[in-house]
Amino acid sequence: MEPAYRLDHNHKLSLREFPYIIRWRDDRCKRCGRCTAACPVKAIEPTVKILRTIQSEGPVPTPAATRKITHIVEQVADMERYCTGCGACVLVCPNEAIEPEFNPQNKFLFYKNKGGEGYKRGGRRNDPSISNLDRLKFTRISMLTDPALDAGRHEFRIRTLLGRILPPEELPLKNENGILAVDKTIEKFIPPVREIYPIMIGSMSVGALSPTMWEGLAMGIAYLNEVEGLPVVMCSGEGGMPPRLLKSKYLKYFIIQIASGYFGWDEIIYALPHMVEDPAAIEIKYGQGAKPGDGGLLMAQKVLKLIANIRGVPQFVDLASPPTHQTKYSIEEAVAKMIQSMSMAWGFRVPVYPKISGSKTARAVLNNLARNPYAAALSIDGEDGGTGAAYNVSMDKMGHPIASNLRECYLDLVKQGKQNELPLIAAGGIGKKGNLAANAAALIMLGASAVSIGKYIMQAAADCFGDEYNRCNLCNTGKCPRGITTQDPKLYRRLDSDKVAERVVEAFKAADVELKKIFAPMGRSTELPIGMSDGLSTDDKAMAERLDISYAC
Amino acid sequence: MRAKKRTEAQKRRSAEVLKKKKKFQNLQTSELPSFRTIIIHGNVRGNRVPSRILEEQTQHTVQEGTRELHIMADGQHGIGGRIWPRKETVKITVEGPVGQRLGSMGMPGTEIVVKGSVSDDVGWLNCGAKITVLGDATNGAWNAAAQGILYIQGSGGARCDTMTKHNPRFNPPQSWYFRNVGDSFAEFKAGGISVICGVNPRNPKNIIGYRPCIGMVGGIIYFRGPIQGYSEKDVKLLNLTPQDWEWLRTNMKHFLEAIDRKSYYKELTRSTEDWKKLIAYTPQEKRERKWFKISAVDFRKNMWEKEVGQGGIFAEYLSHELTVLPYITTGNERRNKPVWANEKYLPPCAYACPTRIPSHKRATLIRQGKIHDALELVLQYSPLPATVCGQICPNLCMNACTRGQIDKPLAINKYGSLALELPSPKKEKPTGHKIAVIGGGPAGLSASWQLALKGHNVDLYEAADKLGGKVELCIPRERLPHEILEKELSRFSEIGVNVHLNTRVDSYKFHEIYKNHEIVVIACGAHQPRTVKFDGSEHIISAYDFLKDINSGKKPVLKGKKVVVIGAGNVGMDVASEAYMYGAESVIAVDIQKPAAFGKEMELAASKGTKILWPKFTERYDHKEKKIYFKDGSSLDADIVVISIGDVPLLDFLSPSIHTEKGWIEVNDIGQTSDVKVFAIGDATQPGLVTHAIGQGRVLADIIHYQLMHAPRQSEVKQVIPYDRIRTEYYDACTGDFTPEKEANKCMSCAACRDCRMCEATCYWGAISRVEHKDGSYEYIVDEDKCIGCGFCAGICPCGVWEMVENV
Repeated sequence: MEPAYRLDHNHKLSLREFPYIIRWRDDRCKRCGRCTAACPVKAIEPTVKILRTIQSEGPVPTPAATRKITHIVEQVADMERYCTGCGACVLVCPNEAIEPEFNPQNKFLFYKNKGGEGYKRGGRRNDPSISNLDRLKFTRISMLTDPALDAGRHEFRIRTLLGRILPPEELPLKNENGILAVDKTIEKFIPPVREIYPIMIGSMSVGALSPTMWEGLAMGIAYLNEVEGLPVVMCSGEGGMPPRLLKSKYLKYFIIQIASGYFGWDEIIYALPHMVEDPAAIEIKYGQGAKPGDGGLLMAQKVLKLIANIRGVPQFVDLASPPTHQTKYSIEEAVAKMIQSMSMAWGFRVPVYPKISGSKTARAVLNNLARNPYAAALSIDGEDGGTGAAYNVSMDKMGHPIASNLRECYLDLVKQGKQNELPLIAAGGIGKKGNLAANAAALIMLGASAVSIGKYIMQAAADCFGDEYNRCNLCNTGKCPRGITTQDPKLYRRLDSDKVAERVVEAFKAADVELKKIFAPMGRSTELPIGMSDGLSTDDKAMAERLDISYAC
Repeated sequence: MRAKKRTEAQKRRSAEVLKKKKKFQNLQTSELPSFRTIIIHGNVRGNRVPSRILEEQTQHTVQEGTRELHIMADGQHGIGGRIWPRKETVKITVEGPVGQRLGSMGMPGTEIVVKGSVSDDVGWLNCGAKITVLGDATNGAWNAAAQGILYIQGSGGARCDTMTKHNPRFNPPQSWYFRNVGDSFAEFKAGGISVICGVNPRNPKNIIGYRPCIGMVGGIIYFRGPIQGYSEKDVKLLNLTPQDWEWLRTNMKHFLEAIDRKSYYKELTRSTEDWKKLIAYTPQEKRERKWFKISAVDFRKNMWEKEVGQGGIFAEYLSHELTVLPYITTGNERRNKPVWANEKYLPPCAYACPTRIPSHKRATLIRQGKIHDALELVLQYSPLPATVCGQICPNLCMNACTRGQIDKPLAINKYGSLALELPSPKKEKPTGHKIAVIGGGPAGLSASWQLALKGHNVDLYEAADKLGGKVELCIPRERLPHEILEKELSRFSEIGVNVHLNTRVDSYKFHEIYKNHEIVVIACGAHQPRTVKFDGSEHIISAYDFLKDINSGKKPVLKGKKVVVIGAGNVGMDVASEAYMYGAESVIAVDIQKPAAFGKEMELAASKGTKILWPKFTERYDHKEKKIYFKDGSSLDADIVVISIGDVPLLDFLSPSIHTEKGWIEVNDIGQTSDVKVFAIGDATQPGLVTHAIGQGRVLADIIHYQLMHAPRQSEVKQVIPYDRIRTEYYDACTGDFTPEKEANKCMSCAACRDCRMCEATCYWGAISRVEHKDGSYEYIVDEDKCIGCGFCAGICPCGVWEMVENV
């Protein structure tokens, strides 16, 4: 046997296998250690190198060896400490001496399975190709054929309705002194409806998000409503809601989510008698676009006092949200039972709707909902959605793209003549490449009444490092370098919730301007062009056929 | 040619004149332009003249010199525009229903008076005409006007004064409305002056219409009367300055005169208070404008926290300050912090040594000039350093030594040899505890040595007439000069162990020992050779007996003999070496598997010519034929066959309370047997090296000592420092002969601080300093307020002493 000290590169990986390679510049580095202090995964470390040169100065060979020791910053060739490319080092380096570089030849997935565990991560589907939604163009531009509207000059009313809308013939209307009014003497159930902004912030839980991030988003939402008059709503995610918010008047801007773990719900129920406002809606989560059929697990080390209190669990326990609800066995039962219960909790005053992952089975769910008078909407989350933690395989390979899934659901409603009755909410990859308003408008024109966003706002409001090249995507580890998805105060205190709120406001105001820039040239200013698919085209023939829109090239 | 051409040109010209005559039949006067006023009819005998014809007539008439026109319009487009009188004035009076865009693209010098109302876009793209409308203007008046004046006696429709601009080469355009204007006034206005007098407005609540001034970037709007808002992001509402007032009063006169409303002058210039103006924000002002109606900070303070409570929605659960932290932090806010973990780990040498001899400490002491202390240190760990470390040990420590990565491992064996002459160390005071050790081999010697040093009363029982066990009995003198062993055994005898030689322990004796001692340590070794049965196996001898006979003076006569050794382990190699020593012609060792022999034994045997064959399964030995046969059909000549497949312990003396497993005494991890008073070590428990036996003896002595003294024992299980923590880069390959000092300098001091101050010099933040204590010891400490937890100290420490830990 070889003595241990003789073994050197045996079973060591070369840096070429790693997804990101650190480019470090000796000539710029002052060895201050900021980068190694900031690296969230300890992928870089200071170490020692020998520089050895031979000089020969005389007219004949006169060798003289010079040996010099130097301290350097080096990338660690350990898959458990792989560089995620987040760039925290770049951020803190005063001398621009360090930078991670994406390595397209990496063999990361061959190795990221230590201990027989599949690779788990947070983030989004790693697919940097052009997003489907970005292939949709708005091609019906009004100039002379329709009144040309001017986004800057005309008044717009970009609003949508969340809740089941009864057709006029089903509404108990009466003539009251020449004015049409609802006849309240007839005991007919009139479903609650909210007028909201058609882009909402999707479900991201307290726990998945840090307190600073969650509060920043919540404040941004309140600001948009209270100061800017934009009725943007946000979904709580499954992790309860802070009682202080539940008991405040701002509750009306929030959709409370219930999911398979039912976390935080006893605390919500305790808060019920103290609520001064009803929530915007209740979302029942059956599936998530990013990881269809996969549950969630909040690791024990993240379950600190804050999370424990809000979720109503002891500290330092693993919190599992199973992939399925444990007491529901069929669409009929699941939907009827849950929608009834949740509606009842607020006296049938609050819209209640389910959220499912994009799937070939979405139409079956929709058909069931169409027959349920209490169902307020259907939210479909496509494969490009994000998540705080999932198996890589679930994220990359499971799920259905949102566009055709939404479209076939909408066209089903059209066939039944119910397209204006049951709103569809689309999510998953909206703004994936930054085109928030365009993607939202495209989905609206394919038939969505509203869209939900997650990753976009993480990026825009909190500078999330993540991307589709698997950059960062550390959400599941609790080591988020930006302080977005961590419960470690040392990390989440990096994030200023005021700044997050400010950015939420900016992002939504900008999206509002952009939506106008899309809708105005198409001649729409007061009604959301839901299902106005004649305005859309794509340069992909197959896609055009599948979505039943025109092909333009 | 030329004449002919001219004639044709003349002909053409007169034809044109004829045509014109025909065309201009609606001109009332002769075509000669000597008359002062020419009347153009827009309708001739019930036929409406096309706009194109009316335009041609107008242009022609002016070209011919007419300077006053009277147009009886009938809805024609663009009347009075584009007339270029070259610095003269052309006056056009228009009557009747006018079409759209009257006076559009009007030029300086053109003066149009409309005796009635006008249609859309009056004065469109006006470049200098003065247009007076003695009536109302409908939508879009003055759109894109760049110069000139528009006077409206009535009111303007929707979207008047949009896109007007001011070319700095000329005076700004002016538009005057006597009554009011309609919705969307002055959109994208970029220059020019608008005046809305607000007399008898059609909408008394709002004289400038709904949502005026969207996108307005320049110009001024003076108005008088109530309004209902304007585009606040584009324009601001101000009072008039004295200059504004002066301008307004002066120009008001001309306006009122032109529209025949002179009587209103007094009312309209009654007070500057009656008037306001709207002007565009400058780009500078827009840039400075705050994006947010209220700042996020103010929103939190004044709205959010007022509603949800002080500190926000999570404050009740958070114990930390609610401030923002930078990425680079110090003190408690660091994510990681360095620890000077001096000697937290074992260096590879000490870890690899079953006795845990801390060779790195010997090197440190030598570097400090304390060579005697350094050599003596080993006696705390082993009674036989020169024998074992110096001679017979395969030196696992050196195999593990990090230095081997650079040149050669540290010569730890030589440190062992240097200890030969050392006297016995000092003993502790007697404790009065009585311990029996059965077996005077390396395990028993080690345990007795350690226990005696600690002051215990030790009885050591040895069956043979000499101490040393197999080291004495079986290890060839060639590998271990006997005087070295004797020297070290004599040092052992100084320590005061009660040695009982020639005392074979049987069950009776064991019972007696057991009764008379607090603790019994069985270190009887393995002295029963293992054999296998095959035809002729009765004619072979065991390695144990073969070697023992030699060491006890019974020399074998092997001259010219062929020797076969069954079993090619290290003992087999010793047999082979000895066989050659005593004249064997050839020695072949056979084994059923890959031979286990290694190190010095193997080298020595091989150097003498020993051959090894494997796999060979012995079938029989023909003692007469002197041939050994193997199952593969082969055979070897064999005058003598020695079997060397290991020895097992002789345990017939044990009481039933001590459990054995397959012939070995079963012990737990502290060496205790199923009888809590009885411990067992060395080959009696499992086969091992001499160094294992010595190590087990030392560790067990420690355990027994703590047990007897009722002292809590610190577990000795230190982890070994990983090789990659040692920065070998600091060292260069060395050559030259061994001296203790040179060797000590070569030691990399794995896991033990070398006191080189590298960390102190490296720390960019100056957070590390060396502190010396009164007892001469030192440590390196970290100033928490300076340290950012970068890990440079840990990364560059030559010895791997600094360690980064999570800062919790």
